[in-house]
Amino acid sequence: MSPRRGTLAFLYALPFVLLFAALLVGRYGGGPGDVLRALFSADGDGILRSVVLRVRLPRAIAALLVGANLAVAGAVLQGLFRNPLVDSRIHGVRSGAAFGAALAILVSGGALAVQTSAFAFALLAVVLVLCVGWRLGAAPLVLILIGIAVSALFDSSLGLVKYVADPLSKLPSITYWLLGGLGGASWSNLVPLLVLSPLGLGFLFLIRWRLNVLTLGDDEATSLGVRVRPLRAGAIAAAALLVAASVAQAGTIGWIGLVIPHVARSWAGPDHTRLVPASAALGGAVLVALDTTARTALASEIPLGILTGLLGVPAFLFLLGGYVRQKEGIR
Amino acid sequence: MLASACAVSAFADTVEVVDSVGRVVQVQQPVRRIASTYGMGTYYVYALGAGDRLVAAWYVGLKSALQAPASFAVLEPRLGELLCSGDPNVEDLVARGADLVLADVAKTAAVALPLEELGVPTLVLGVETAQGVVDLTLLLGSVLGEAAAARAAALVADFYRVYGMASVAASETPTASRPRVLFLGADPLRVASGAMYQTGLIEAAGGVSVSADLAGSWNAVSLEQILVWNPDVIVIPSYGDYTAADLLSNPDWQSVHAVRLGRVAKMPRIFGTMDTPLPESLLGVVWLSALFYPERATFDAPAEATAFYSAYYGYSLTSAEAEGFLTP
Repeated sequence: MSPRRGTLAFLYALPFVLLFAALLVGRYGGGPGDVLRALFSADGDGILRSVVLRVRLPRAIAALLVGANLAVAGAVLQGLFRNPLVDSRIHGVRSGAAFGAALAILVSGGALAVQTSAFAFALLAVVLVLCVGWRLGAAPLVLILIGIAVSALFDSSLGLVKYVADPLSKLPSITYWLLGGLGGASWSNLVPLLVLSPLGLGFLFLIRWRLNVLTLGDDEATSLGVRVRPLRAGAIAAAALLVAASVAQAGTIGWIGLVIPHVARSWAGPDHTRLVPASAALGGAVLVALDTTARTALASEIPLGILTGLLGVPAFLFLLGGYVRQKEGIR
Repeated sequence: MLASACAVSAFADTVEVVDSVGRVVQVQQPVRRIASTYGMGTYYVYALGAGDRLVAAWYVGLKSALQAPASFAVLEPRLGELLCSGDPNVEDLVARGADLVLADVAKTAAVALPLEELGVPTLVLGVETAQGVVDLTLLLGSVLGEAAAARAAALVADFYRVYGMASVAASETPTASRPRVLFLGADPLRVASGAMYQTGLIEAAGGVSVSADLAGSWNAVSLEQILVWNPDVIVIPSYGDYTAADLLSNPDWQSVHAVRLGRVAKMPRIFGTMDTPLPESLLGVVWLSALFYPERATFDAPAEATAFYSAYYGYSLTSAEAEGFLTP
């Protein structure tokens, strides 16, 4: 069944509407009218204008990109591995990034070092998975098992870093980072995300129809003229790039990569030509909304990872219930 | 919690005390070999003149001898030998021949109970308030011998003197006119809650914590929330991975009142941190009071610091270290 155009148009417009709305609300200043006056009127509140342009705008853009990246990576990986339970954890990227960030916090603590180290170790994790997987044939199950092993390796290393971290300064920083959040997003540290997100998203958007062929299985895809191993490796690498850039910016944020593709699939269908952009739009919209909640609901920030978990778990159970009913029970 | 941590009775060869969790502990006298697995308690041992009796030590805010400020080498030449980190190993503590162990309240089951089984006197300790600092000082003074008890009494008297002077000075300013203070954490977007020791220090020094309504421990906040509070003064702990200059030069922070006024300051550190419940925290009150009310000169912070480290740690501040206690 082809999705209605109206539904897709709404989906694609949603993140931009929410991004604009996010600029209008916050802890500082008055309501939307004051924000608009501050932005467009010469006698508006200068501090409020600065808050909107220097605090809210980079943060909302970061939320939009991180949400889109995680959701698209999840959708692509679920298709590649033909497994609805796959997300970015499967190729060790999140564990690698978490270890890299914790190590940088332990050694130096500078925001740029944390971001760079998280990104580097995230890529190292996926390179490990792909290199070992390539030698073993790059079959989906093999890649999943290697990903689990690499994740476990970095999880243990993260445990070691936390164990030796100073409980007064370093350990709380690591803990907060692991909970995920965009409180530190600013124009000065947003450049990697702004550069890498279009690269990864653009690549996956361009190969989205080939991803459909891969979901048919290796033999069928090969018979249709697709070079399965390079394409799979390229798609995994692009997904890893998106996740690495996102985790380096926002810490570990769960459930977006797992749940959003399923919701997008229920609206846009399983065809990757529509699923990829729909996941991007929905993931971006959801994370903008959640991040706006995280920074406005209380005086202190609510870690994004907690909010995505609180929303993601019930959504996942709801989707699972529908799937079970559709299949008349899973035994 | 430490309200119960006081000496119950003293005999010629045994002192019986009640620790922070209400356990009655008999400590054989004299105490010759101390293992302090309680990272805060270690500083009290030094302040009471018993540092040379340590056989193993955890230091809050210090995980490796390589991270130690240069002054540590003077305070404790054996730092590399004594310094431990991570979870205490009960067998190792016994092997070091400790006849008194100080244990963190969070490690009661892992450390205190096994040592109790082995007959090693273990005080379970936890301190979270100014009264707790006083109680812990007196408790340790009572088990570490007469000289330590005398030094504990002097330290407590100093504590009351500083708190009293700060309180009198602060009372001259109505609450509504007192400086509104934000105490930041290890990174600039983390702030102290109302329940934390740092908030108590701010109030003792005559300030008003803008984040006092927050619960729990360190709270992550947005820069926008900091603008809502718009503090007059920003305090950075010594363990913050950033400086006052970092905030003063950051364009995102330029709308914050304290930044515009240039009233952002980072606490100095010689041994222990001044914002945690350590003997040094009396200098925290001195330093904050001087920071909040520079025109009053209630305290001469460099002179107070010089006297404190000389009296309790036997350490002579260099002129540069003493000047580090000057507030902007």
